[in-house]
Amino acid sequence: MNHRKRSALAVAAAASLALVGACAPGNAGAPSSAPASAGASSAPAAEAYKPPTITLGTAEDSKGPAIPPEGVVKGGTVTMIDRDDFAHFDPAQIYVNTDANFGLLISRGLTGYKRIAKGDYKLVGDLATDAGTPSDGGKTWTFTLKDGVKWQDGSPITSADVKWSVERMFAPFVTFGPNYIQTWLTSEDYKKAYPGPYGGKELDNIETPDDKTVVFKFNSPHADANYAFAMAGYNIVPKAKDTKEKYDKEPVSSGPYIIKSHVVDKSLELARNPNWDAATDPIRGAYPDVWKMEFGQEATQVTDRFVADSGPDQTAFTFYSNTPAERLQQVLGDASLADRRMISPSPYGNYYYFNLDRVKDQKIRQAINYAWPAKQIQQALGGPQAVALPTTILNENTTVGYKPYDLFGKTAKPEGDIEKAKQLLAESSNPHPTIVYAYNNLPTQEPVTLVIKNALEKAGIKVVAKSLDRKTYYDSISQTKNEFDLYWGGWGADWPSGSTVMPIIFGPVSDGGQNMSHLNDPTVKAEMKKISENPDINAANEAWMNLDKQIQETITPLVVAENRIGTFLHGSKVGGAEIDPQQWIVSPNTIFVKQ
Amino acid sequence: MTTPTSTAPEIDATSVTEAPEAVGRSPGQLMWLRFRRDRTGVISAAIVILFFLVAILAPVISLVYGKDPYTLYGQDRPGLLNDFGYAMAPNGGISSEFWFGIEPNLGRDVFMQLVYGIRTSLLIAVVATILTTLIGIVVGIIAGYAGGKTDFFIGRIIDLMLSFPQVLFIIAFTPVVDQLLVPSNEETPVWLRAVTLTILLTVFGWAGLARLLRGQVLSMREREFVEAAKVTGASPARIVFKELLPNLWTPILIQSTLLLPALVTAEAALSFLGVGMGEQVPDWGRMFLRATQVYQNDITYLIFPGVALLIFVIAFNLLGDSVRDAFDPKIKR
Repeated sequence: MNHRKRSALAVAAAASLALVGACAPGNAGAPSSAPASAGASSAPAAEAYKPPTITLGTAEDSKGPAIPPEGVVKGGTVTMIDRDDFAHFDPAQIYVNTDANFGLLISRGLTGYKRIAKGDYKLVGDLATDAGTPSDGGKTWTFTLKDGVKWQDGSPITSADVKWSVERMFAPFVTFGPNYIQTWLTSEDYKKAYPGPYGGKELDNIETPDDKTVVFKFNSPHADANYAFAMAGYNIVPKAKDTKEKYDKEPVSSGPYIIKSHVVDKSLELARNPNWDAATDPIRGAYPDVWKMEFGQEATQVTDRFVADSGPDQTAFTFYSNTPAERLQQVLGDASLADRRMISPSPYGNYYYFNLDRVKDQKIRQAINYAWPAKQIQQALGGPQAVALPTTILNENTTVGYKPYDLFGKTAKPEGDIEKAKQLLAESSNPHPTIVYAYNNLPTQEPVTLVIKNALEKAGIKVVAKSLDRKTYYDSISQTKNEFDLYWGGWGADWPSGSTVMPIIFGPVSDGGQNMSHLNDPTVKAEMKKISENPDINAANEAWMNLDKQIQETITPLVVAENRIGTFLHGSKVGGAEIDPQQWIVSPNTIFVKQ
Repeated sequence: MTTPTSTAPEIDATSVTEAPEAVGRSPGQLMWLRFRRDRTGVISAAIVILFFLVAILAPVISLVYGKDPYTLYGQDRPGLLNDFGYAMAPNGGISSEFWFGIEPNLGRDVFMQLVYGIRTSLLIAVVATILTTLIGIVVGIIAGYAGGKTDFFIGRIIDLMLSFPQVLFIIAFTPVVDQLLVPSNEETPVWLRAVTLTILLTVFGWAGLARLLRGQVLSMREREFVEAAKVTGASPARIVFKELLPNLWTPILIQSTLLLPALVTAEAALSFLGVGMGEQVPDWGRMFLRATQVYQNDITYLIFPGVALLIFVIAFNLLGDSVRDAFDPKIKR
């Protein structure tokens, strides 16, 4: 090509690009569903998000079948599309929410959460006739199994299976599951205390007086043990069919479905389990006949497929593919998607921890809390539809008896109160402190860091933004002798109570541990121990909430971070799709296919 | 029979008018003359000069325009960005105040980002080009002139360099540099990142030019004028600098004018991949990265860095072509 012609072409190309730009529409305002006081409340999702209520169910509540969602239709094939395949099928190895959610389809435990209505859940007996009976001040827990509960081969589920399932969690090959029950039964270092059942040794403090009864005897009172048993990690495994490590690949079903085929990282298909009886199950609806799952779909693709809603995607939904921030305006602005949207803030607690060994002056920590640019961070991450601004350590979704408080005026001034911060700094030991802020080197964290730096510098705090490699980020910040002053960390409750949050994030200080602020206060420790052993669960929940505020008031070990809001879509022929607010994932229990 | 008679006077006329001018012109003057006649070349040169001027005068532009590239206007002033962090005004927030609109989410001024972004790109690219060219010249001439074992070893090193997966290496190596050189409680300084990028781009850039020059030198080494110089007892240094180098300026100039835009794009690509300059430094590559994520809602933000980079690279490439044409009019493409 002659070069003159070439330059002409180039100019034409540039001009046509500029033309495209000349007719880009504005992005006036948020969609009408957005609240007027955007960013002000702790959960500014559309139509004022209400945290779920979780209460304790009775024996009557524990009877099957599950409460069907409105307009339910049985049968059909439903498709689930997501990015990642499930890492584990062995209940003992399940801690991650996606694995736990899948576990609902093929395995059962002693207790579980029954959906009464939207946002209303009850802890009920799943295999057990009720949510357990405590005695001896919460040290002894007795569960009675229901009649007619069977394994996929038709053999009955017995108390020996339950005992076995807990015992095998002590085995050396089990490394991922939860460890609450194990430590309560033995000691902190539970793997040393008991080597697992495979050598023929039994655990004496789990008793099985008959085939239907199982009794757990803990060393100290645990009023919330029935919540612990609801974790998917404590779902049961058949004693007769246990294949140790191999069980993770070939699980035996006690739930409504059986794995028919599984191609790792690609697809999975479920068929009905003929030996599952809906009349025994208060939790699982199990409406579709066949489940097909597709993996390897990125969140953007999944979102685009649901927006297009064509052909087979109409009967598809996703467990965990959250709408990415850059698609939010499109998804939330489209009125035709209104009935196919599900929105929920995450159940995780996210914090910017102060390193108390280095930032010793509470006035400085408070000043940073006041100056914190919560609203600007929110905007950098996609606005109030993408990110909520909580003000408490405990998350509203996973705290029974949640009571909000706002110590640092974030409701009135979410963009930060620089004047107040300056005033506090002037009273502090160092009016112009330097803060080393360590952050995970992710593309989304760069703008957030810039915003934080910008705001704190306005208050006269010098910020050294230290980028950490994403692979070693958590290792670096969880070193007790780290050289950073401020860093982000997260923790999710395992059941709706402060007892799975507070004693962990303010627990033992160790390398690689979760106490990243290095808070080591005797009064807090004593208080946490007292609340953990309180046999009255309601009083305990209230006490956790009070301790939450007390810690922020008297110590201020952290800045409460922004909380992501999940927006999930599903196909137009999928009914009953709802986000489980505790797991932040679309629950399979109520899913059905519209005809 | 009519044709020769009709053409003869014309030939005469031209030879008469051109004859006095054709006296005493150096190759450089000839090149300049040819270059000036090439309209594409002149326009490209003007654009390239404009880009350089903008880069050098960025602070002046900022002063006149009244904005800087660091302030988060969209965040500090309500009403510019909506709840999702996109500009409320049409066309990415273009207004008399923000000529090219405002950046989504962070709300910085796009025009200033672009102007200061030229600085980052050009600074790294120019320094890397100069270093690359210098190393390429030295290594290429040594290899070509010395020959034998030296040539063999240098040749293998060049092979190695050319076959190295450079982008992967830079992505993997940059964090390592940070970890080695930056104390664990300090920020990575901006200059360190710039120096690292420049050095890495240089290290992987010189081999091409060196191989080209080696070939040129090899073909010239046995020519009469070099032999003559050798016979008269000229030192190797004299032969290299006075006999060989003047004949190599053409490929060197052409190569470096083509290398510069390539390095600008390489720098942008690295920033796009997340190993470029940090968020606080305006950079075209990072603007691209952000723009590709938000283009469905704010296409304008993609247009500006896109068109700017397009114009710059095309202008520079066309300039390179014109320079080549001017130096060596025999090559017809």
